[in-house]
Amino acid sequence: MYGEGILKGLWVTLKHMVGTFVKDIKKFPRRYARGGILERTEYDLYGIFTCQYPEERYEMFPRFRGALMQLRNAETGEPNCTACGACERACPHGVISLEVEGKGKERVLKAYRYNLARCVFCRLCVESCRFDAIEMSHEYELSRYSNDFILEMDDLLALGDKYDVHKTGEAWGVSE
Amino acid sequence: MQILENLWIDIAQWIRGLFDSFLPQWAAQLVMDVLGILLLIVIGIVAVLAFTYMERKVIARVGDRIGPNRAGPLGIFQAIADAIKMLTKEDVTPTNADRWMFLAAPILIIIPAVLLYAVLPFGRGMVGVDVNIAVVFVVALGAIPILSMLMAGWASDNKYALLGAFRTVAQLLSYEIPMAIALLTVVLLAGTMSTVGIVGAQSSIPFILVTPAAFLVYFLAGLAELNRTPFDLLEADSEIVAGYFIEYSGMKFAMFFLAEFINFFMMAGMITTLFLGGWQWPILPSWLWFLIKTIAVIFVIMWIRDTVPRIRIDQMLSFAWKALVPVALANLFLVAFIAKLLEPGWLRTVAAFGSNIVLIGIALLLLGRASRRRKERAREAGEAAVKRYYASAESD
Amino acid sequence: MGPQHPSTHGVFRMILTLDGETVVDLKPMFGYLHRGLEKTSEERTYLQAVPFTDRLDYICSMTNNFAYAVAVERLADIEVPPRAEYIRVIMGELTRLINHMLGIGFLFNELGAWYTPVVYAFRERERIMDLFEMASGSRMMCNYIRPGGVAADLPEEFLPHLKKLIPHLKRFVAEIRFYLSENEIFRARSVGVGFLPADMAVANSITGPVLRASGVTYDVRRAEPYSIYDEFEFDIPTQVEGDVYARYAQRLDEMDESLKILSQAVERLPDGEYTSKVPSRLRPPKGESYARIEAPKGELGFYLVSDGSPNPYRWRNRPPSLINLSALREMCLGHKVADVVVIYGSIDVTLADIDR
Repeated sequence: MYGEGILKGLWVTLKHMVGTFVKDIKKFPRRYARGGILERTEYDLYGIFTCQYPEERYEMFPRFRGALMQLRNAETGEPNCTACGACERACPHGVISLEVEGKGKERVLKAYRYNLARCVFCRLCVESCRFDAIEMSHEYELSRYSNDFILEMDDLLALGDKYDVHKTGEAWGVSE
Repeated sequence: MQILENLWIDIAQWIRGLFDSFLPQWAAQLVMDVLGILLLIVIGIVAVLAFTYMERKVIARVGDRIGPNRAGPLGIFQAIADAIKMLTKEDVTPTNADRWMFLAAPILIIIPAVLLYAVLPFGRGMVGVDVNIAVVFVVALGAIPILSMLMAGWASDNKYALLGAFRTVAQLLSYEIPMAIALLTVVLLAGTMSTVGIVGAQSSIPFILVTPAAFLVYFLAGLAELNRTPFDLLEADSEIVAGYFIEYSGMKFAMFFLAEFINFFMMAGMITTLFLGGWQWPILPSWLWFLIKTIAVIFVIMWIRDTVPRIRIDQMLSFAWKALVPVALANLFLVAFIAKLLEPGWLRTVAAFGSNIVLIGIALLLLGRASRRRKERAREAGEAAVKRYYASAESD
Repeated sequence: MGPQHPSTHGVFRMILTLDGETVVDLKPMFGYLHRGLEKTSEERTYLQAVPFTDRLDYICSMTNNFAYAVAVERLADIEVPPRAEYIRVIMGELTRLINHMLGIGFLFNELGAWYTPVVYAFRERERIMDLFEMASGSRMMCNYIRPGGVAADLPEEFLPHLKKLIPHLKRFVAEIRFYLSENEIFRARSVGVGFLPADMAVANSITGPVLRASGVTYDVRRAEPYSIYDEFEFDIPTQVEGDVYARYAQRLDEMDESLKILSQAVERLPDGEYTSKVPSRLRPPKGESYARIEAPKGELGFYLVSDGSPNPYRWRNRPPSLINLSALREMCLGHKVADVVVIYGSIDVTLADIDR
């Protein structure tokens, strides 16, 4: 019959539409009350797929690459960074810049600058670090009201404390 | 139920009584008429607000999304937010445009749209004016917007607007004809041209079951008149010709927008009146049935919009002239024949229904054969090309 | 049709010469998105250039990485352990699924179905991108397949999710076929439109689904097998007609074949190392190499010339989208304006790939 394709299409669309209402009823308070977190692991073709952002936030997977953060040693609380400069050399875009005093084993880190606006979150810096000093956090809400995108050592350490990570590459199955 | 049934009529009588007490007869009548007109306009605008909201929600749910839900609880103030946005936009007139025509076009498009509400029977005894040539009234007033679209296209000093206006006029004129012929079929069956009379003639069986072919033709022609998918090439953003209202902004654009939705509700109302039985049904009050049927028709139109891609303009015109007009004419002849021979009764209904199904079947068969022939031709061209390639590839 | 247009997949400009409604001449103009990736990569080391390859064709970032890794491995004679090869194949086929979903969805967007097929396709894309995020940390710019292997091993939750996802995607492809393939309006607009005969396709160096939809059975995975593709059983679907409908049907068939390869790879995944030791400042011996793979859009190639230093001397990629675009003029002649957009959508280009 000639019009059959359009009717099949209409049937599929109707199933999707009715499916959203059926799913809403089955999981009743979740959509209309705040604080319901959606799960992404139900494999079904029907049902509403939207995540209503400010009220419902997905949890990122462990390997998620957000902004950079500096890590502290778990016992002593000192930053792990030894100012070797490997991350500065590994970055393809020149995002990290270090100010170091002294040479050799007496290197002291004066300033560590990370340009959030130029970073592409590729994680090559973390892979090059041998001292468990930096890692990518899960921070993705990075907008600011003014043009100050350069994070200093204190901001990065604060991020590390917020996410409470002490070793690099915990989720990646290697310790670097 | 009887209270609900006559609810609006009782309210109208009560208000009339109020006015009668301190005004002379003719003044009370005048005030009642003005209130009636205002009521119809308000119904039009409320319908527009409600249906823009409903459309966005329906499209969203079909795509597994939630629609607007931030402006007010469940998003019901979204339409008001849209209206405020449109009203506060700057009203720009192009320098070389024809000022008076530019101004007149949106006004001229909205007047017939609202005028049409006067003949729609919202319930038993609730109609604006019971004109006894209501069908002709509808067809005539439905043709005035075509003129105003041409005015809009000409008055903007933009050749793309003019081209868009030409296309719109071609589309709307081509689809007026099957629409009018389908209307004639219904008039033949009902014996009267007034909408109230047509609803009355469907007290035993709605006309969709008597002439489904006329229903299909009227439905498709109505979709084309409303510029809705699959016929909405003028609003498409993937074509370079952007439409006759490209130079309009602010309140004037809002007028075009309003006119489209008012026409939408009107078309759904006409389909309900002509084919689905208007306000006829036993239990619920009559105006509620009218509303339910109209909303069902509107839902089907929106559902089709979400699902189906667009047709090209030349395919659309050929569909109108080569498919809809012959079917409508053949249907008219068949129904006239049957209506003359047989008395009104179940035999006539069954004969009309059966002949209509056969007619639709023949039309679908012919259309299917045309599309299959096109596919065969494409396949042959492709196979010839492949053979050519492999022959040349082997030879060198 | 100017650079700002809702349906051109990016910033692209076509200068059309019309006769009434019919197209008489077409000149594409691009370059609005040129970022100088080739020159920039020549100043970086081989490892640092991997994030740049992500951004070439941003929808299929894993296959871009794959092609680059194969090129570097051929240049420097690096062995890849078998587990890494299987992981690469899994990621490559998942990328093919993503790309075809997006291609079909946006084809219907240009035809005028108001976003409904797009939203259905993006729903399933989200699930696959979740898998990418599980493995590599980012949904689109994955930076995962490196020269020598992959960046890290698969996490534990990856394989169970993938095993549940494969039957679900089979149901999705079946539903899309049911919904869209027989739609009469779609057929009326796409059968016979944009016909590309097989000899012209080969003469213009078109590759990928566009070529196979015109009837020529040519797939780089069979013609010059790279990685371990010769160990999998899959067919190469072709269509005969070479019009827009054939390209759409070709993409659906290729999605089915990808699902077949995925299930075979998941079953046979061996244990072992996920990368071989490659120094971060790799100094390959002097020479050149060209590697090509079957990217979802066509044949993606990388040409590398090394002069012994850690930076490549010449770094060039062969963009499938640009070369597939060269036949646009022949395909569009004689058609109406409304068809130009549809034909362009059916070739499925990404502007970033054209402009680099």
